[in-house]
Amino acid sequence: MTPNPARFRSLLTGLVLGVGLLGGAAACSGSSADTASSTVAGVKEINVTIAAKSVTPPPGRIDVTKGQTVRITVTSDVADEAHVHGYDKAASLQPGTPATIEFVADQDGLFEVETHESGLQLFQLAVR
Amino acid sequence: MVLLAHGVGGRQDLPIPFSAALAGAVIALLVSFAVLGMLWTEPRLGGPLARIRPFSDLFQRAVSSQAWAWIWRTAGLVVAAYFCIGLVFGPDQVENPTAGAFYVLFWVGLIPASLLFGPVWRTLNPLRTLHLLASRALRRDPDAGLRPLPEGLGYWPAAAGLFAFVWLELVAPDRATLPVIGIWLGAYAALMLAGAVVFGARWFDKGDAFEAYSGLIGRLAPVVRRDDGVVAWRNSLDGMSGLRPAPGLPVLVVVLLGSTMYDSLSGAPAWVRFVQESPLPGPVMGTAGLVVVIGLVLAAFFGATALAGRRGATEPRVMAGELAHSIVPIAVGYLVAHYYTLFLLEGQRTIALLSDPLGTGADWLGTAGWTVGGLGNTPASIALLQVTVIIIGHVLGTVLAHDRALALLPRRTAVAGQIPLLVLMVVYTVMGLLLLFAA
Repeated sequence: MTPNPARFRSLLTGLVLGVGLLGGAAACSGSSADTASSTVAGVKEINVTIAAKSVTPPPGRIDVTKGQTVRITVTSDVADEAHVHGYDKAASLQPGTPATIEFVADQDGLFEVETHESGLQLFQLAVR
Repeated sequence: MVLLAHGVGGRQDLPIPFSAALAGAVIALLVSFAVLGMLWTEPRLGGPLARIRPFSDLFQRAVSSQAWAWIWRTAGLVVAAYFCIGLVFGPDQVENPTAGAFYVLFWVGLIPASLLFGPVWRTLNPLRTLHLLASRALRRDPDAGLRPLPEGLGYWPAAAGLFAFVWLELVAPDRATLPVIGIWLGAYAALMLAGAVVFGARWFDKGDAFEAYSGLIGRLAPVVRRDDGVVAWRNSLDGMSGLRPAPGLPVLVVVLLGSTMYDSLSGAPAWVRFVQESPLPGPVMGTAGLVVVIGLVLAAFFGATALAGRRGATEPRVMAGELAHSIVPIAVGYLVAHYYTLFLLEGQRTIALLSDPLGTGADWLGTAGWTVGGLGNTPASIALLQVTVIIIGHVLGTVLAHDRALALLPRRTAVAGQIPLLVLMVVYTVMGLLLLFAA
């Protein structure tokens, strides 16, 4: 089989495109919402505020080590319920009063934390 | 798939490591290159299905008997009736098994069932059986409708039905609640039965979304019941290659692949932020996202097949129809990668819940006490499985496209004509890996 320059060009283009896409995605996913969380004495503290249906900081992914204790504090301007999917932990939210959900992240996977009434995603917990 | 407030899909898979995505993409490229240059140069697949190994006569007679067909038809009716207990009479709460039974056991479960045994939903479909029974009772031929089935209809009804289903599964508000599932299924059953009354039982073949879905995936099964009734082992690639073009087939296949890609995309934090910061309601954004992703996958497919056709002086429409089958393994690989853990974990949970569909504390099936086990899966083993099945889908798709291109294109342009097809498949596969990594 003689090498066909056109074919090589196409394949090279495909390769460059593929690697570029993957690389671009790697750069994007690096910007997670870790500013909302801090680790104090081995406990992952996560603070979220909801005001006028807007979540601060904006929804992102927060990495947690399997077995770590997670303490989520949510402050909402309206009455609602916050819920951690998969772990099925919930806390009722009163306007302006911070509510806390604390649990040990003992199951790996990706879990969404949401409010039920307003249907807002607060963040995603990546336990590994 | 995450169904708010209702158990199904509470846990999702972690993103796969970048190294795994990159390794997968490189393997996909190398395989494409190898297939293009080094494999066979004469079409080999499909043919008259000569290379089959028939089962023993006794087994043939057993599975070809009327009794065998009626066992499965009855099973389909009984399971559907049991499902309806929870749907119609059960309480609308998290412990109701209906959403899990519909979205996980039925929709996702049809994938492994069809991959192993072929187009199983054709026999199990309770609507087909009801139509058959009604026809018998009225002493009518079930295949004779009020008018002939128009050939131009093809897979279009199934494609529309599949889109309606994925919209329900991925976008519809309150999609895990009983009224929403009930209304959707009621409308679907009424339309399917009406179609069967008007066009006869052949309507179900390409008109019923779930029969078409099971039929597409079932083409990859290692067993076949040939048109002449012989039941045999066969090469899955021969089976897939035997899928003949029909109107609407490319759209049907692309809806399957595109909707699963949208499901991954909709979990990405960037997409979540975009939707929540938009002034438009979530379901509107979701519908737009679903349509856009399917549209992009479709545009890529039609663009690549048209380019391939131009090199080989074949009409774009003919190329698209002839190559639709090669996208099926890619879609199936992605479906398996996407739904494997959901099926494993939520499937077990749903079987436990099914023991008590009315929420009365009953244990009708003896499975109420089941606890969900992960079967020893770790994030690393799940990621490995996901990349592996995507690569297998890519390899099968590439081989199928290569073989079909040899049959369609003049020998002189067969290699050049395949380049757009290979680029298309590499793009699909890299997008799939990218979504598993980033979303």
